[in-house]
Amino acid sequence: MRTTFESMGTVVSLEAPAVSHPLVRRVFETAEARFSLFRPDSELSRVAAGELPLTRAGSQLRDTYARAVLWRERTDGAFTPNRPDGVIDLNGIVKAEAVEAAGAALTAAGWHHWSINAGGDILVADAGHDGAPHLIALADPADASATLCAITLAGPRRAVATSGSAQRGDHIWRGGSRTPAAFVQVSVVADDIVTADVLATAIVASGRDTLDAVCDRWDVDVFTVDRDGAMLATPGLRAALAA
Amino acid sequence: MRTRTLLGSILASIGVLVVGWQAGTTVLGTTTVATPSSSTGGATTGGSTTGGSTTSGGSSTSSPAATPTSAASQTATYTGTEVNTRFGSVQVQVTVTDGTISDVTALKLTDHDGKSVQISNRAAPVLREEVLAAQSASVSNVSGATYTTQAYLTSVQSALDQAGL
Repeated sequence: MRTTFESMGTVVSLEAPAVSHPLVRRVFETAEARFSLFRPDSELSRVAAGELPLTRAGSQLRDTYARAVLWRERTDGAFTPNRPDGVIDLNGIVKAEAVEAAGAALTAAGWHHWSINAGGDILVADAGHDGAPHLIALADPADASATLCAITLAGPRRAVATSGSAQRGDHIWRGGSRTPAAFVQVSVVADDIVTADVLATAIVASGRDTLDAVCDRWDVDVFTVDRDGAMLATPGLRAALAA
Repeated sequence: MRTRTLLGSILASIGVLVVGWQAGTTVLGTTTVATPSSSTGGATTGGSTTGGSTTSGGSSTSSPAATPTSAASQTATYTGTEVNTRFGSVQVQVTVTDGTISDVTALKLTDHDGKSVQISNRAAPVLREEVLAAQSASVSNVSGATYTTQAYLTSVQSALDQAGL
């Protein structure tokens, strides 16, 4: 049973048994209430405004911040939880974390056939021995009404995230750089959605060097589209292209 | 023997690279400590060859246990800790004779999904035709840059959702 709902400024598409829908909505509502910088009363807004010291914030906010800082170190700063003005901005990770938490809740409740797509970041249930592989389309950055290709998610590969400037302009902080990003769209396929999302953001932010570093260090598959429409793909991504 | 030595030093270099890279970039928590398992001479001098690339310590605390390989020259065998890489786990043993590496044995090489044979995971150019040829009528979701709630209305994802597929 498919449903959609708005959260975090985008739309979440959920394919899961109807009885499980409130469970997933609750996960997203909780995350939004805690992390949205668009809500003055959110916990993170109070931290950003200086009303609440980070050290006194709730453990979940601190855990998420610590996780974001860890990713900053892993990506040599390509991914960062701080805006240029110093304000903590966890938007780069909270949506993926919400998807991850929602998926974990569905699995814990005993559901084994589902998919969650939060504004283009997708996590699917572990297909298991009898489940059919999930087919995911990658968007065409030049045409919102088209897709580029279909890829298969199978085995441990359960997550795909895409970052880019196609939908909302250059919204990714790139260390004050004014030059256009090398890639207009980057998709990362990984075993977990936070890794996929963070690395896709890092590659868009930092370009080719970060792309190579990511491919060397992480067990992920990557697909990129540059300004001229030229495409790059890792061997695993090519293998995942739908036949 | 010469070929073996050459091969050994190449393997050692790879081992050191893997170990250094692992220690420097990821957080798997495995530190590599060279453990001398045998020593016929007094002080073991070759430790820096294997352990030097990463953390120190530990090598002096382990007690020599294994059999000496040669009584004439100073020979020591060092067994590296098992290191997890993204291709699986790797463990290397290095034999040092008179201060130089005389042999390197891979005690454990990865066979995780056969990925050890995959040398590069880097992204390479792919033809647009090849990409566009990969289509399926049964896609369930679209991955793209995050859309606003307004942009969603005209997206392919919205069409899929309305179809209830």
